Order: sequence, then structure tokens, then C-alpha cells
Amino acid sequence: MDYLVAVLLPQLLHGLVFGAALGLLALGLTVIFGLLGVMNFAHGELYMLGAYAGITVIGWTHSFWVALVAAPLIVGVLGAITEAATLRPLYRREPLYGLILTFGLALVFREGVRQIYGGDMRRILPPFTGSTPILGMTYPDYRLFLLAASSALLLAIWLFFTRTRAGIIVRAAVQDAEMLDGLGVDVRRVFTLTFAGSAALAALAGLLLAPVFTVYPQMGVEMILLAFIVVILGGMGSMGGSVVAALVIGLAQSLFSLWMNPQRVAIAIFGIMIVVLIVRPRGFFGREGVLE
Amino acid sequence: MSRVVTWRALLALAALAALPAVPGLPRYYLLLAFDSLLFGAIAMSLDLLIGYTGLVSFGHAAFYGLGAYATAILMERGVLSLWACLGSSVLVVGAYALVVSYFATPRRGIYFALLTLIFAEVVYTFFRYTQTFGGSDGIQGLPDAELWRGVPIDTPERKYYLGLAYLALAYATCRVVVTSHFGRVLVAIRENEDRARFLGYSVHRYKMAVCLLSALLTGLAGAIYPIRSAFATPDLMVWTESGEFIISVMIGGLGTLVGPILGGVFFTILRDKVSSYVDWYFIVIGVVLIVIVLFMPKGLLGFRRLLGFKQWRATA
Repeated sequence: MDYLVAVLLPQLLHGLVFGAALGLLALGLTVIFGLLGVMNFAHGELYMLGAYAGITVIGWTHSFWVALVAAPLIVGVLGAITEAATLRPLYRREPLYGLILTFGLALVFREGVRQIYGGDMRRILPPFTGSTPILGMTYPDYRLFLLAASSALLLAIWLFFTRTRAGIIVRAAVQDAEMLDGLGVDVRRVFTLTFAGSAALAALAGLLLAPVFTVYPQMGVEMILLAFIVVILGGMGSMGGSVVAALVIGLAQSLFSLWMNPQRVAIAIFGIMIVVLIVRPRGFFGREGVLE
Repeated sequence: MSRVVTWRALLALAALAALPAVPGLPRYYLLLAFDSLLFGAIAMSLDLLIGYTGLVSFGHAAFYGLGAYATAILMERGVLSLWACLGSSVLVVGAYALVVSYFATPRRGIYFALLTLIFAEVVYTFFRYTQTFGGSDGIQGLPDAELWRGVPIDTPERKYYLGLAYLALAYATCRVVVTSHFGRVLVAIRENEDRARFLGYSVHRYKMAVCLLSALLTGLAGAIYPIRSAFATPDLMVWTESGEFIISVMIGGLGTLVGPILGGVFFTILRDKVSSYVDWYFIVIGVVLIVIVLFMPKGLLGFRRLLGFKQWRATA
């Protein structure tokens, strides 16, 4: 019982918190994949840019909350510009080109940030520091806030996609962009705005996780692999699947790290991924035959 | 001349062989040339997969790194024979590639790319955190290898000729493969996998075979890298390295063999030259990549044609 409360429960909560934030990251990735057919290699860098934009805004205003609003907006605008300038000409080409292009974008963003902010590890202090007794243990307030904020955002995104006209248009574009174009919707604008939205989500995840992790130019490289794994595990282009898979990976990672060193944890997660790809490549909820 | 050994190829080889004779050439440039040719050869063997078979491997860095570690581990323990090093690399890389290709080749497109990527990450993570093999520092300060007893590969000239010999062999192998019946089947698989299967070809076996071949060529490149650099580190097999291999193939032009060699040379020299002037060279490389994808998707050889040169030999 002591083991349960002192070790297992906090670890489970850690996993849940991390999984929810990972879900925000993976959701943007999967929507872009469904929409443009592009595995966005620069998504991890947008996540990283969110944290750095947060550092800048906090430097100006000394408020985490202002940064939480401003940083996703900044990165969202950057995403819109990037999409219109570089990805738009590639719509009708093979997905390979999109892959390579975003790889190049990732290099530019990563190095740009290193030039501006330097390569050191940075920290963002959490806006509040206390902890709350919960289920017989004490748990840091910020992590609880992180869990609540991520869950609320995921719920809001779900409502957006199911209840609003804009959300339904995006889903229609994922299904069949050409048909939507024929129905008189400006598909290019849908693509650009969706990309901006996905960039903003990634930035938000980056800033939300920054007080828990450290901020450095390479931080996106490690997260993007995990996000890829989540997207595949959930099923390419399946948004619900991504969220479920993010929670599974988050929980698996924190539970595994009770018994294994970080190296074995990473290998175990990769192992899960390899087995899924071999046995059921469409993931938990993916449609059969998507890009297979 | 046969279709494989052309005058043009021999001429290029002769010109490359004469490079150390250029008067006043700093020895450092021979090592840069070694790196360029090695990178070009890796891109070329990757082209067998991407350009000819239509399989994008995001895990070639693991073949490269495993080959390098197989050599470095032997040399660290006092086995200096080049042939022993090459042999052990072939065994290690071959065994690993057999597993990867068996599981990855039944999948297409993005699934193949991600399977190879994740397999490679497992290898990277293993070497990155295993202290027996030096952890993140890798294996440093290796002695010179020996061609045979008493003939060390120590001077930049000898190292350069080793790299050149490897490139020539690799190129000949690839050229033979793509002009053979086997190579035609690969192109057929790229164009329409189902139809190739209906025609009675065992598509999985063909894909596995080309995957193995490409992996072994890359592994051999890895095997001779520590002989020139005297180290092997896990950075050789981090997944962004695989990305750089793909970039080189794209820069040069898919499905041309010669193109990716040029792409690899271009990429290596660009990285070296730009990084000696500015420390933000990754921005330059990223921008070059973006420009190539946007404006010259057929790569350097495709660009040649735009400029009015005679059309380069088309795919296979």
C-alpha cells in the first residue's frame, strides 16, 4: 500500500501529465499528416520555438500567463508564413519532397534559435510552486495545472472538430480536399490556417512543458520521435487515436522508468513501436490501407 | 566498352586518382576528399533503395555506424588488419540488416521509412548508453590500420586511395546491379509493386536483397571511416545523419547513381567550407535544401539538363 501511494501513484500521474501534453503535440502532427500527407519533421522545432518565444515574452512582461497566450500566436503566424511560402508549392508532388523540405526547415529553425539564444540549457520557472495533497500524497500544483490545461485543450479541440463549421471543413479537407475545393471552399486557406493552428498547438505544448523540462535548441529532436511513434500507434490521421496513444506512451514511459534505466525505457518504447508496425501497421484506430 | 565500364567512368576515376599529384595541394584537402567520396558512396548505395526501388530508408546511419563500430572495436583491441575489420563489419552489418530488411520491406512508403528509423534508433540508443563502447564519447584515439603486415594506412594519400578504391568498387557493383535483370525488377517494383507481384516476382525477396546490398555497401563505408578519422562515436548513427544521406541523394538526383555521388560530395564540401567561415552553417544547409526541393526537384543532374546539357542517362 505504501509502495502504491509513494511510488506508483505519483508515477502514474506523471505519465498522465506527460501523455496529455504529448497528445497536444501529436494531434497537430496527425492533422497535418491527414491534410497534406506530409510527415512534418519541423514539428519538434515548432514545439521548441514555443518555449523560446515564451522566454522572450516572459522577459518583456514578466508574466507566464501573457506568454502562454502570446507565444502560440507568434509561432502560429510563423507557421502560416512558412506554410504559404514553402509547403504550398509542394501539394501535388510526392510526399517525399515534403519530408525533405520540413527536414530543411527544422535545420533552419534549430540553428536560428541557437544563434539568437545560445545553446545553453534554459529554465522557465513555473508560475506557482506549491503542492496539493491528493489521494494521500502531495503533488506539485503546476503539474496538476498542466494536466487540467492539456485536458481542457484536448476537449476544446474535440469540440472544435465536431461542433463548429470550421472544424467540419478541416475534417472534410482531410477526407477529400479536391471535393471540398469543388464545393467552393478556399482549400489553400484551410491548409494554411490548419498548419498555423498545428504550429500554435505545438508551441503551446512546448511552453506548458518548459517548467517541467529544460529548454534547449535540441529539445524538439527528441520529442518529435516520440510524437511520430504516437501518431503511428494511434493510426495515421486518426485524431482520437493520437490522444489515446499519447496517454499510453506517457504512462508506459513513466511506469517503465520505475524498473529500468532511461536507455532500456527508450529501447522498450521503440520495441513496442516496432511490434505495432509489424503486426498492425495502421495502429489502434487508423483506417486500413492509409499510405500502406 | 561494356555498359558497365564506360570511358566516362574510367576517365573520372583516373582524374580522381591523380588528385594527390596536384602540386601544392594541402594534405588536409585529401582527407576532405576522402570524406566527400565516402559520403557520395553512401548516398549512391542509398539511391539503390530510394531512386530505383522506391523505398525511403531513414535508418542508413545505423548501418554506417555499426560498420564503424565493428572496425573501431577490433582496432581498439589490437586487430589492425584492414581485411579483418572489413570482414567483421560485413558480418555485423549483414546480420543486423537481415533482421531490419526482413521486417521492414513488406511495408511501403512512410511505414518503411519509420520502421528503419526506429530500428536505427534502437542501435543508436544502445551504443549511446553502453559504457563498454565508450558511451556518448565513443571509441577515440585508434591506431593506424594495416593493409597487410608492415604496410600501415597512415598518410593522407594512402587513406585517400583507400576511399577511392572503395568508391570505385561500390560504383561498379551498383552499376552492375541496376543494369542487370535484377535492377529492372527493382524499377518494376518501384513503378507498380502489385503488377510486379502478379508477374510472378517474389517482391519481398527482391526488396530484401536490395536492402541488404545497400546496407552492406553503407556498412563498408562505415568500416573504413575510423581508419581515416581514428574514432567512432554514436553521433555517426543519430537519425539526423540518415536525413543527411537522403538529402545528398535528393541534391544529386534520384535514380542516377552518379547524381547522389555528386550530391554527397557537394554536401560534404558545403558543410566543411561554410562551417569554416560561419558557425550558423546549418541555416545555409537548410536553405540550400529548401531551395533544391522547391526549384530543382530533380537535383543537380536534373539541373544540368535545364542548363542545356545533353540529357543524362535516364533511370536504369
